[in-house]
Amino acid sequence: MEDYKFLFKVVLVGNAGVGKTCLVRRFTQGLFPPGQGATIGVDFMIKTVEVENEKVKLFIWDTAGQERFRSITQSYYRSAHALILVYDISCQPTFDCLPDWLREIEEYASNKVLRILVGNKIDREDREIPTHVGEDFAQRHGMYFLETSAKEAENVERLFMEIAAELMEDKIQARSKELPRYETNTTSINGKTTSIGDTSNCGCSRLS
Amino acid sequence: MEDYLPNEYDVVVVGTGMTESIVAAAASRIGKKVLHLDSFQGDVCKHKISDEYYGGLWATFNFDGLQKWIEDLKVSKTSAKDVSEVDLELEEKFLKTSNEYSTVENIEETWYISNDADLPVVSSKDTQTDSTGDGSGSGDEKSDDDKVEKKENVKQWSIDRIRKEYRKFNIDLAPKLLFARGELVELLISSNIARYAEFRAVSRVATFMDGKLTQVPCSRADVFANKTVSVVEKRMLMQLLTSCMEQGADSPEFDGFRDKTFLEYLNTKNLTPIVQHYVVQAIAMATEKTSCRDGVNRTKHFLNSLGRYGNTPFLWPMYGSGELPQCFCRLCAVFGGVYCLKRQLDGVVIYKNKCKAIISGKQRISLEHLVLGQGHLPPEVVVSEGEQRISRGIFITDRSIMQGEKENLTLLYYPPEQPDQEPVTLIELGPSTNACPQGLFMVHMTCKRTTNAKEDLAYVVNKFLKAEPLDPLAIRSSIHSHTQTVSPDKRHIQEGDQDNREESTEESPKPQVLWSLYLNLPASDIKLNESTPSNLHLCSGPDLELDFDFAVNQAKSIFESMYPDKDFLPRAPDPEEIVLEGEEAPGPKFEGDTEAEEKQDVEKAEKED
Repeated sequence: MEDYKFLFKVVLVGNAGVGKTCLVRRFTQGLFPPGQGATIGVDFMIKTVEVENEKVKLFIWDTAGQERFRSITQSYYRSAHALILVYDISCQPTFDCLPDWLREIEEYASNKVLRILVGNKIDREDREIPTHVGEDFAQRHGMYFLETSAKEAENVERLFMEIAAELMEDKIQARSKELPRYETNTTSINGKTTSIGDTSNCGCSRLS
Repeated sequence: MEDYLPNEYDVVVVGTGMTESIVAAAASRIGKKVLHLDSFQGDVCKHKISDEYYGGLWATFNFDGLQKWIEDLKVSKTSAKDVSEVDLELEEKFLKTSNEYSTVENIEETWYISNDADLPVVSSKDTQTDSTGDGSGSGDEKSDDDKVEKKENVKQWSIDRIRKEYRKFNIDLAPKLLFARGELVELLISSNIARYAEFRAVSRVATFMDGKLTQVPCSRADVFANKTVSVVEKRMLMQLLTSCMEQGADSPEFDGFRDKTFLEYLNTKNLTPIVQHYVVQAIAMATEKTSCRDGVNRTKHFLNSLGRYGNTPFLWPMYGSGELPQCFCRLCAVFGGVYCLKRQLDGVVIYKNKCKAIISGKQRISLEHLVLGQGHLPPEVVVSEGEQRISRGIFITDRSIMQGEKENLTLLYYPPEQPDQEPVTLIELGPSTNACPQGLFMVHMTCKRTTNAKEDLAYVVNKFLKAEPLDPLAIRSSIHSHTQTVSPDKRHIQEGDQDNREESTEESPKPQVLWSLYLNLPASDIKLNESTPSNLHLCSGPDLELDFDFAVNQAKSIFESMYPDKDFLPRAPDPEEIVLEGEEAPGPKFEGDTEAEEKQDVEKAEKED
């Protein structure tokens, strides 16, 4: 048996180049890969964190580059517990696209998904979007807000830890009952959903 | 404005249907450079109504998305570029592509319920103040007459309410089930793509027998618990099933029936009518014409898939069949495939009987292989438009066709009543599949087209559904307008009117249809002519079969003809297995997967540069 009590799916969206993959890598591996291209072969990353002495396992999904031409599959949003919408504080167009992303989120993500707006790259000198503008936007759309730097590792840990804590609390209060996937026990089939896969050599990413 | 795409690929795939998506994933998985495009059927630039979507004719839409899709189909199509506009080199030929082979016909949308505004004051107040529509809300105390009904059914449905809750609908153009041991399930597992999707086991297989619907016993436990079959019959059934299962169609058991029908074979087995009915109609889903070989194979397929997931041999993809092509697209993207859903294919450049490039907008994109969904073919290569055309009916109803504990996901095969009818496959989805909100059901009917969808399906609709408003004078069919007046639905009448004798005389009333959509999908057995360039590969649209085997097998054979020596979708690594730059401990090796390792190495090397 896996040693964790909670399992959550966190997905990242936002324009290409805002640093989604860097945030994930910084958090899961403590790395900042400079000048990396699109992430080939990496589907999602896993990290187990501890919140109030409970093990919480986060599955963190990246867009696989499909955001480049705005062609993210709807199924990417399905059953996400938390959704991180990222923009680049030094790049106005990435901020201007936020309403488009929100529309897509409204359409496909669960309406109970925890939504966080992240302004990344605060290490940059050439800031174009003041903090309060991001804050305002987040507030207007019922989102949490945080500014980060994947490069300087600023607020990255905090971002994911707060997500884990928030989701865990939700879970405990059973408010997130309806979030359909990635319950820790989806093995029973009748009346419950089924993930298919060989149970024999089951890695932790498969839930059958 | 156009997004600029890189100009050179190993494989260009146009269309995001099931077969196209599997091929795209398979090519990307072995390291080929893949471009995957799709575009709308309507005019791309001027009249764009709907958003980009995956799946083509295999798509699943929410209620709003479906409405936009229907609107889009009405918009007149513009013809693609003319040859004269394309810069060609010497000896190159330009073939314009056409969407005529994915034409959807006879769309007929009908509401059987009214708008909030047309309801009496007391009820419109009730529905308009409803914000979440979670069913069992407050303010329902007014009507006690419906107490026997489910609580969430108490509040009545209006057009406005359905529109408002559009996100809770997932409506399939081409709904399909997966046999638990069918081609697609095996592929999803072996490729590790299963992790992108989630399924629900079909809760019951139903059949129509002696004037009513009954549940077909599928598992051994079901067979033995079944009270309609005697012990002798149970033994008979088990014996027959065992021989189909163990011996297969090539067994000497079936020697005398090579050119006979399955029914003729069964007739020699002295089965009782009930047992024969179960085998023919529910297990083999056969007609009088089904050959013995097909019947045995179908029986075997059914039995093989039993006992793996749930009580029936079938799985249904959560959020609809349209999720599945997207799973393959995701894998393609994860391995570097480039996705663009808003690009129209204008035409194909042929040079010495090879596809050399495609023209898309201002760009010329060169390629080794071109994989085309049937909605993107140049007419010059098509020799037959096919005959297996499809009639579809989609219905939102207020209750299950067979109310009971297992009503959340039902499959019914209904054989023709008359010689000129086609057998109809009926899939009924409850709210737990995310096809519709609490309190409603989504019924999908599919059959081979003979006239048009509405006529082809009429005999089954009349049998199982109440597809008429109570006051037929007040309704008109809505294809172009959504402001029509319609009569109130049945429940409203029960509340507000004493005159409901028609309903009360029936033991279990038929589901009332709230909304219906009929449409005809194009044929899936389109054929290309002999002189088609060998690097142009056709992917068919949805076929008539219940499962995805056809698409999976077509994708396999396309991949094999492109890359005969390569593995078809080897298992994708789990995240834990990927060694990333800077990580200390090497993870386990990818099983049978040198390509991905190479790729990883390349990636590493590039970074170290």
